[in-house]
Amino acid sequence: MTLNILVAFKIVPDETLIKISGDKVDLNVPVKISTYDKNAIEEGLELREKYGGKVIGISVGVNDRKTIREALAMGLDEVISITPKTYADALATAKLISEEAKGYDLLIFGESSTDGGDSAVGPMVGEILGYPVITYVRRVEIQDGFLVAERNLTPEVEEVKAKLPCVISVTGEANTPRIPTLKQIMESGKKKVVAKEVEIASSSRLVNLTPYFVPRKKVIIEGKLEEQVQKVVEILRGNL
Amino acid sequence: MIVVYSTDQEKFKKLSGFAQTLSDEVIGVAPFRDNHVKKLIVAKTEDLAVETISEQRPSLVLLSEGKREVTVGARVAARLNAPFSSSCNSLKVEGGKVVVERLGFGGVVKATVELSTPAVVVIQPPDSESREFETEIHEYEGKGKMEILNTKRQTSTVNLQSAKVIVSVGRGIGGKENVKYAEELAQVLNAALAGSRPVTAELKWLPEDRQVGLSGTKVRPKVYIAVGISGQPQHLAGMKDSGLVIAVNKDKNAPIVENADYTVIADAIEFCKAITEALKK
Ligand SMILES: Cc1cc2nc3c(=O)[nH]c(=O)nc-3n(C[C@H](O)[C@H](O)[C@H](O)COP(=O)(O)OP(=O)(O)OC[C@H]3O[C@@H](n4cnc5c(N)ncnc54)[C@H](O)[C@@H]3O)c2cc1C
Repeated sequence: MTLNILVAFKIVPDETLIKISGDKVDLNVPVKISTYDKNAIEEGLELREKYGGKVIGISVGVNDRKTIREALAMGLDEVISITPKTYADALATAKLISEEAKGYDLLIFGESSTDGGDSAVGPMVGEILGYPVITYVRRVEIQDGFLVAERNLTPEVEEVKAKLPCVISVTGEANTPRIPTLKQIMESGKKKVVAKEVEIASSSRLVNLTPYFVPRKKVIIEGKLEEQVQKVVEILRGNL
Repeated sequence: MIVVYSTDQEKFKKLSGFAQTLSDEVIGVAPFRDNHVKKLIVAKTEDLAVETISEQRPSLVLLSEGKREVTVGARVAARLNAPFSSSCNSLKVEGGKVVVERLGFGGVVKATVELSTPAVVVIQPPDSESREFETEIHEYEGKGKMEILNTKRQTSTVNLQSAKVIVSVGRGIGGKENVKYAEELAQVLNAALAGSRPVTAELKWLPEDRQVGLSGTKVRPKVYIAVGISGQPQHLAGMKDSGLVIAVNKDKNAPIVENADYTVIADAIEFCKAITEALKK
């Protein structure tokens, strides 16, 4: 059988670049595809290579052209980009994705995003559509209309089977996301992007953001190994 | 009415105690039998837990930290058309709203979020006393949407939360065969051995219950020694509250330097060997 796959990916501020000064958080930094959503895209592409079919991407929120093109360059056939006019929380996002998610055999999400990190949108979409929900998947196979997956639920590892259509979320260890070539990046400009602006209400609200910052001494110890060791031994003796 | 759900007996007890500080009416849902709630519904699988929690029509659902709990919580939230928040470390009810505190952006920030009710919250509850009851127990039977072919439980190898000193290794240790040098250092310091997510979940140089970080265990030992760890936000989120932080890294520009009291610029293996020898004396 061929597979019709929908992969959700979120465009987020690069968390490694977020600047903290005093009690201020500066989120106005370059955006990227949320780390493990790249694993979701990769899983979709690998399944398409194995079973044939199509992989469509869907992204709710920031609609940065360059980042969407990166997802297309990785190999998505098409991207649906939905921009809510006001803040959309996990449930609002799940509702928006559900409306576009009918008719697919498999919906793939990343285990967690690097901004909110609720790990919720995938399971919520599954519930709204009434599909089986299989989270934290690190290995997946399709067998006669069924999905067989290994879930990493530390400290448990579970093997499960469910009838398609299903929703899965993949872990960061499920695969290694491919890096698009220059040619793929050039060609991605020709691929289709369906852009929509929508209204949706959220039932949660971000009240406040403060840095999670613990000041440190930041002393660098360089020099000869014996001297470094001597210093650290003294520091340890003073603190244990 | 509050429903509490956990797949871990210790966490279930703590969570039930916390829920009882908020309401007299607490119903427990768990895959095991327990007597820290007045009424308990035993639901063996995630699918069954989602069904029974949603059927109770609770105004608040509290779940303990854990991957199954997050999954069940998000699904219940969708069923109840309720807002959801995971990784919370505090919760208050204010004017009919639920206000939680949690980490965001990979652990770079603390966020305060307000949820309308009903709400679903995954939380590491504050310590609260838990009472025992003559519990009324129901078994929830049924068939889920997924078939569980097999479940393997890994034995727990460490308790990082109670460790006073932690030696933690990252990808910079270079290979599974080198982890022993950090282990020997841990031994002389009477420390627990931990690791970053790549070292545990991905490369399997250490068992997965030794992962420190946002998606692993959050620790606060007196001394945390990070060996060959770059200090990405998600790792820092799990160890920032440690007493003293010492890093060993060959790169002066690694982000761990900004988040450590002392960084030794050295090769991870050479340093481990040399300091282990020195400490033995
Ligand atoms: C949603 C999400 C959740 C995550 N959760 C976690 C989590 O819970 N815990 C976690 O750890 N990570 C987590 N991560 C991953 C995290 O972002 C980083 O990728 C990870 O922490 C990096 O691990 P590392 O420091 O071991 O490896 P690297 O980043 O590869 O760093 C290796 C370091 O070793 C140094 N080094 C190399 N060779 C030597 C040598 N010979 N001697 C000394 N130093 C050397 C290098 O300079 C470098 O600084 C998460 C990521 C996401 C997206």
